[in-house]
Amino acid sequence: MNPLTGRRRLIPWLFLAPALALLGTFTLVPMLRAAGWSLTDADLLRTGSAAWTGAAHYSDLLTDPRFRRAFFNTACFALMVVPVQAALAFFLALWVNRPEPQWRWLRTVFFAPVVVSMPVLAVLWTMLYQPMRGDQTGLVNALVAAVGLPAQAWLQNPRLALPAIAFMSVWQGVGFQMMIFLAGLQNLSRDQLEAATIDGAGAAQRLRHVILPAMRPSIAFVLTATLILSFRLFAQPYLMTRGGPEDATVSVIQFIYETTFLGQELGRASAAAMLFLALVAGLALAQRLFAREVRS
Amino acid sequence: MKRAAGWLLAGAAALGFLLPLLWMLHASFRPEPAVFQGGWAPLLDFRGLHLGHYADAWRRAALATGLLNSLLQVAGILGLGLLFNSLAAYALARFDFPGRRPLFALVIVLIILPVEVLAVPLLLTVRDLGLVGGHARTLAALVLPFAVKAFNIYFLRQHFLALPRDLEEAAVVDGAGPFRIYWSVALPAIRPALATVLVLDLLTHWSDFIWPPIICTREETRTVQISLANLFTQPPVQWGDILACAVLITLPVLLVFRLAQRHVVATHLAAGIK
Repeated sequence: MNPLTGRRRLIPWLFLAPALALLGTFTLVPMLRAAGWSLTDADLLRTGSAAWTGAAHYSDLLTDPRFRRAFFNTACFALMVVPVQAALAFFLALWVNRPEPQWRWLRTVFFAPVVVSMPVLAVLWTMLYQPMRGDQTGLVNALVAAVGLPAQAWLQNPRLALPAIAFMSVWQGVGFQMMIFLAGLQNLSRDQLEAATIDGAGAAQRLRHVILPAMRPSIAFVLTATLILSFRLFAQPYLMTRGGPEDATVSVIQFIYETTFLGQELGRASAAAMLFLALVAGLALAQRLFAREVRS
Repeated sequence: MKRAAGWLLAGAAALGFLLPLLWMLHASFRPEPAVFQGGWAPLLDFRGLHLGHYADAWRRAALATGLLNSLLQVAGILGLGLLFNSLAAYALARFDFPGRRPLFALVIVLIILPVEVLAVPLLLTVRDLGLVGGHARTLAALVLPFAVKAFNIYFLRQHFLALPRDLEEAAVVDGAGPFRIYWSVALPAIRPALATVLVLDLLTHWSDFIWPPIICTREETRTVQISLANLFTQPPVQWGDILACAVLITLPVLLVFRLAQRHVVATHLAAGIK
């Protein structure tokens, strides 16, 4: 029997056809169109008759202070969120990884903010971060005052706005990473841990020699995913501060969004999008290579 | 003694962690002028709580319309996505055909593509296809671009690969064709992975506040996030109404999550990470 008769050869493509059709139409085509526009002076209302500009948008963007600020902010956000969120999630996973069912509620608690949508949480935290005005203040300032520290205008102070947004983001997403670590921990066989305990390994040694090596795939996954997701920063600052104060929280995606919708400069925005895609792809690749290096 | 300390610590951590959400729930029942008054102490004060904000939010944000549209939107994305993504994933996991390797590489590359960046070219593509205007067209524009996701294809493929082949081989002996085997043997076997993907998609699209406002230009087509945003633009801005609306649009997700939780056990996430 020849497995490659016509009908048989067609079957995989029948399975793939719907997905390929939609991916092609709504992902690949828009991406290629954006790549094309990035080399022209196209604007939102007139996309057809655009003139060729070559790489002008790219060189222009690389020296644009606001675009550089957006990149800087996004990178700072990632630098704050990735290590803190991953470490906290790992710690929480170790904590809630208990066999007794009465501990399951604690997992639900840490996962709860993940289930609430980001715009809702952005609204909520804008209210929590409210500055002091007369006898009115947000909850964060009330708690800060309760421990004797001065109240702050969290989102209105250019030096505090981005850290405040990072704090809220860590709180929102840590439960998800915790779940992934938990999955890894539960795959780790109990025998291994017990053997290590019998051999007289303390908690620190068990963590270093048994848990961490076994958790390497989960750790690599969480770091890559968090890094890429934090570079996609947009919802929190856009909804909480509109990128302010003084552009202190403008993100790359907000820059792209505003350049097209407010400035209507499709060519320029597309070039920014391409630079952003290249960066994210580069990060993912670098992380993969780094993970491979560590493994070998 | 040590046990009690452990519970106490857990309780304190849980309370601190949930404080923002508890504050939201509590403030949504408080009279408007009191929302920002008195710091944290009013959290323990249950006098004067009322349902007024919920009634106002429901009416002013036209939540009935918003919830219905959002429900249709996520049902469409989840339903089509489940079928199309799992079909593609199964082909990549189980069939050997020329072009499989480059195709899988393409899927991997597309995983990291942030869709937000392509909102505008996507809008123009959707417009070229005539998917703007009435209810049905708007729904198509909300659903079709997001039904197929590279990450879901990758994730489901990993789970199909992890299945033992015996089940499927037994079905071949029984004379079942490839589609039958996919549908009645392989798909039910990865139910936990499907539930995981559904919950993640639900969270993503229920909270989408970028694409719907671009697409839903008419009042009767708006989704929950547009409803919430509208409370900020129609005066007077009532914080209590906004919080009540926030609570109301969270409830459906919570409900679905509660139902799916049984399937989305942590262990099943693991197979996807390799």
